[in-house]
Formats: sequence, structure tokens, C-alpha cells
Amino acid sequence: MEGSLGAVAQFLDTNIGLVASIGKIALALVIALQVAPIMVWVERRQAAFIQRRIGPNRVGLFGFRLFGLGQPLADTIKLLFKEDFIPQQANKFFYVLAPILPAVIGLVAIQGIPLGKEIIVAGHTIDLQPVNLNAGFLYLFAMSALGVYGVALAGWSSNNKYALLGGLRASAQMISYEIAMGLALLPMVFIYGTLDLQGMIAAQSDSLLFGFLPNWGIFLSPISFVLFVVTMFAETNRLPFDLAEGEAELVAGFLVEYGSMRWSLFFLGEYAMMFTLSALTTCVFLGGYEIPWLPHAQLVTLLTPIFTAEPATWVAAAIGLGVLIVKVAAFMFLFVQARFTLPRFRYDQLMRVGWVYMLPVALLNLVVMALIVGFLRLT
Amino acid sequence: MLTLPELGLYFSFLLFLVGLAGVMFRKNILFMMLSVEILLNAANLAFVCASKLTGTMDGQVVMFFVMAVAACEAAIGLALIIALYRTKASIEADDLKALRG
Amino acid sequence: MNLSLLSFIVMGITAVLLSGVMITRRWPVSAAMVLIAIMTLLAGMFGLLEAHFAAAAQIIVYAGAIMVVFVFVIMLLNLPPEELRYGGVTVGEMILIAVSVFVAVGLGTKVGQGFLTTGLESMGVAQGESVAGGHHMYFPASENVKNVAASMFVDYLWAFELISFLIMAAVIGAVVIAKKRSAEHADAA
Repeated sequence: MEGSLGAVAQFLDTNIGLVASIGKIALALVIALQVAPIMVWVERRQAAFIQRRIGPNRVGLFGFRLFGLGQPLADTIKLLFKEDFIPQQANKFFYVLAPILPAVIGLVAIQGIPLGKEIIVAGHTIDLQPVNLNAGFLYLFAMSALGVYGVALAGWSSNNKYALLGGLRASAQMISYEIAMGLALLPMVFIYGTLDLQGMIAAQSDSLLFGFLPNWGIFLSPISFVLFVVTMFAETNRLPFDLAEGEAELVAGFLVEYGSMRWSLFFLGEYAMMFTLSALTTCVFLGGYEIPWLPHAQLVTLLTPIFTAEPATWVAAAIGLGVLIVKVAAFMFLFVQARFTLPRFRYDQLMRVGWVYMLPVALLNLVVMALIVGFLRLT
Repeated sequence: MLTLPELGLYFSFLLFLVGLAGVMFRKNILFMMLSVEILLNAANLAFVCASKLTGTMDGQVVMFFVMAVAACEAAIGLALIIALYRTKASIEADDLKALRG
Repeated sequence: MNLSLLSFIVMGITAVLLSGVMITRRWPVSAAMVLIAIMTLLAGMFGLLEAHFAAAAQIIVYAGAIMVVFVFVIMLLNLPPEELRYGGVTVGEMILIAVSVFVAVGLGTKVGQGFLTTGLESMGVAQGESVAGGHHMYFPASENVKNVAASMFVDYLWAFELISFLIMAAVIGAVVIAKKRSAEHADAA
């Protein structure tokens, strides 16, 4: 018995990198999969709040009402038992593939988010970013760029005029806003001097701005922040940029032929992508998992007397994850608030906003920030 | 045993051959353009492998330039396809004989 | 056999097979989607070659922008599936095929490998060794982006600037070509 335990311990010790990677990926997956059901509930409750209704508050869990938190579970069961329908005229293969793409891409993209600084287990330091390429957040950009194919394919394979128009709109919109999105983040890259999200977070927490503000990206380059948040709405196809769906003019756009679980897979992907992009914004502009005015290293030294050295890093990581989720939740709240507050753009307005306003402003911001940073580096 | 970049060079040869076959045998301009993208991708793979083999960054930089040229090619080519489809209602290469001398 | 070599081989073989699938598709959308899969596989191969920036750029620029434009145009024109017509191989094409097969066989054997290595040696390059002439070296993966930038903006600055002119010309050209010439161009945007 002891021998086998020893063998397990030795296996864990030698393959700590592999085991840690699997653990990190599983943690990120769990988070991503929880986003969609909880957000559906939040969205319905908040819509009800804005429209002065009550909203779903009946379905509870284990006999408790819990403000209707059981509603997503009930919805999922309903969706699972609905008829799985493939339209006669659809291209079968791509019709089936289209909803899987955004869901998979959403779940893969979230792996690029740093969920915490690091934990120390049995002398091994484990970085809490599941996928850490040298290209940094370009990985997240790449995933968000692939997200459009789910919508475009759904629109094409449904073989329906409304769906096709929705797919067309989505692909044109994505390309237009991706440029402004990249240009909005570029100033942050040369302010921090790194593409790595962990490095960016570290750069934001190591000093104070003017002696009292946390050194966050939002204070360093507010225009980038505004541009990025707007393009984030466009990239995730949320109101006021949900031209691809457009219930009023396009029935439901690319979703018109979809039902049951296939339909909800689109939303799984959409919410996972919303979470990922919100987390990216948090990491770049709002200090990520760091508590304001309290850098991670300081937190660990504070916690070390209470717990011992290694568990202190675990508690610090858990607190960091909580902080990250609180910050991201604020963005998700913003997404929902915007959805029930702002009217949808007209298509020509959407294109004008993207190309005539956002792109030049982003370019100008880039040039001005480059000059400022260059000047500060020289002096 | 071959190393990764050497293997990658072989894969890039194979990809290039398949892409070349696509350009030669398809009569549809759109498919020809898609095959050209395969050719460029094969070249990119070769550049990155060469970059790794020689231990310099040149290959990766040239790969980036190839990408930029591919973007230009796609923009112009697709614009041509749209214009052709409007005037001829066909994008078959055989139907486009207006410039034949 | 280690994991990265195995996955590299699997990715490469899949990419080559998929390219065969791509050039035999009838529907343009199918071909475009297969091509996107090939590009994603290539990005994975770049990642295994420790060219992280190239991998990210491959997906962002190729799969995320160029192919979106392709898909957009295919959907905009709503192209019907093409009738595949075989046969009618001309003499010129046969010569081309023969040359390609010859080249492939040549490159796939020791002869080809000899060409490759002597070619590299004649450039003054030995494998894994540093290169003279001030060109930037292949530093470890953790410095990849920095090194690409150093090489691009120091060794290739003029080429980079010229490429930007090329892109500008292409954008203007595309707009001019695709613009509707009739009076109904109000809805062309």
C-alpha cells in the first residue's frame, strides 16, 4: 500500500508540469462552462429589473428558491429534450459543425487567461496561466478572430436568406472591428514593454501612479480602454452590435434555423468569449487578479504568518482568482446593461463607426501614445 | 532521425505540390486562388523551418512579408472575382477569353 | 519518439491530406473551410518550431482576416457548386506534372537532402550555428517576439516600409476594381 502511494508521489513529482497543465486547463474549462448558465440567469433577472418585472425567480435548488438560480438547469434540461432538427435544405455537415466551432473556440480561448500568479506545490512553482505562449495575448486575438466562422458557417449552411445575410454581416463586422481592436491594444504593449499578460499584470501592480492611483492601464491610456471595450462588444456580437442576429429585421439572423442544444451551443461559445475578452480587458487595463494597492508578493508575505509558506501561496491564488472573477463580473454586468439599454445600430452606421471614427481615433491614439512613451523613455 | 525543421521542409514540399496541382487542374478562379493560398502557406512553412535550421530570424520575418503579399493578392483577386461575376455571371477561367489575341 | 515530434508529424500529414481534400471540393465554402483547417494546423506546426509570433500571425492574419474575406465573397456571390470536369490534360500540363513528380522524388531522397544541406552550407550556414552579417539569431522561444521585431525593424526596415506601400496600393486597387460603375452604386458600401 505504502509502496504504491510512494510510486504515485514519485510520478507526481517527476511529471509535475504535465499534471499541473491538466489541472489548470480543467480549472479554466470549469469556469468557462459555468459562465453560460449563470449569465443566462443574470441576463434574464437584470432584464426583468430594468423593465420593472420580476423575472425567473421560481425554480430553486434543493428546495431553496435562491432567487431562481435553478432556472438555467431547468432550461438546459428543456433544451436537451427538445427535438434535434436538421432542416431539409441545409448542408448537413456544416450545419452540424457550425455551433460546435464557437463553443470549442470559446473553451480553448479561455486557456490563455492568467487565473493567478503562481502557486508553490512541494517546492515546484506553478504558473497559473494554462497556456503561456511567448506571443502573449496574441493567442487570445487569434482565437477571437476564428470565432466568426461559427456564425458565417451557420448562416451559409442553413440555406436560408435571412441566415445568409446574418452570416455576411457578421463576417464584415468582425474584420472591420478587429483592426480597431488590435490598434487599441498596441499602445499598452509598448507602455508595458511586453506581450505577456503576466508581465503586464506585474507592471501594473509594482508602483503607484501619482502616488495614490494603482498603476492600471485604464489610467495610463483611457482612450485605448474605451476603444477596446467598444470593439469587444462588436467582436462578441452583442448589442448594440448584434447585427448578425437582428431579431427585428433578420428574424434571428444566423440562428434562424437552429434549435435545441445546437442553438444553445452558440450561446455557450458567446458567453465563454465574453468572459475571455472581459478577462483580457481586466488583465490589460485593470490589473488582472491583483487587489488594488496590494501586490501579489505583499499579499503572500501578509498571509505567510497565518498559514505556512506554501499554503499561503494557495490562499493568495484563490483570493486572486476571486478578484479576477469580481472584475470580470463587472464587465459582464456592463454587457447585460448595454443590451437592455442601447438600441441596435443600423448597418451603415455600424460600418461608419468602425471605419470612419474608431479606426482613425485608434491610429491617432497609437501615434500620440508612442510619442509620449518615446519622450518619457528618452528623458 | 530527422529533426522537426527538416521534416517540416518535406511537408512543405508536399503541400506545395498539392497546391500546384490545384492551380493547374481547377478551372474555377476562386479555387485557383485558394490553391495559391496553399502554395503561399507551404512557402511560409519552409521559411519558418529554414529560420529554425539556420538559427536566424530572417525566415520568420520573410514569412511575415509573404503574409502581407498574400493579403494584397487576396484583396485584388477577390475584387476581380466580384467584378467578373458581375459582368460575366461566371468565374470559370475558360469563359474569360475577352483578352485572347 | 517524443511528443512534439509525434504531434508535428501528425499535423503535417493531416495538413497534406487535407490539402488533397481541398482541391477536390465542389462547394467553394467547403474548400475555404478545409483551407482554414490547414492554416490552423500550420500554425500549430509553427508553434512546435518555437516560432510563436509566426503561429499567432498565421491565425490572426491568414485564418482570421484573409480567409474571412474569402468566405465573405463566396457567401456574397452565393456561388453554386462547381461541376468537376476531369480529363483534357494538355501536353504542357503533363510536362509540368512530370517535372513536379521528378522534383518531389528528388527532394524526397538522399539526393534532395544533399542539395538542401549543401545549399545551406554554401550560404555559409551550418545547422544550429550562428550566422555572420549581423542578422538576428534564433534565440530561445521566450524571446521570440522581441527577436522578430528586432530583425524586422532593423535588418528589414526598408522592406517593411515598402510592404506597407504595397498594401496601400492593393487596398486602393481593390476598391476601384470592385466598385459598381453604374448609378446604383449608392448601396455598394
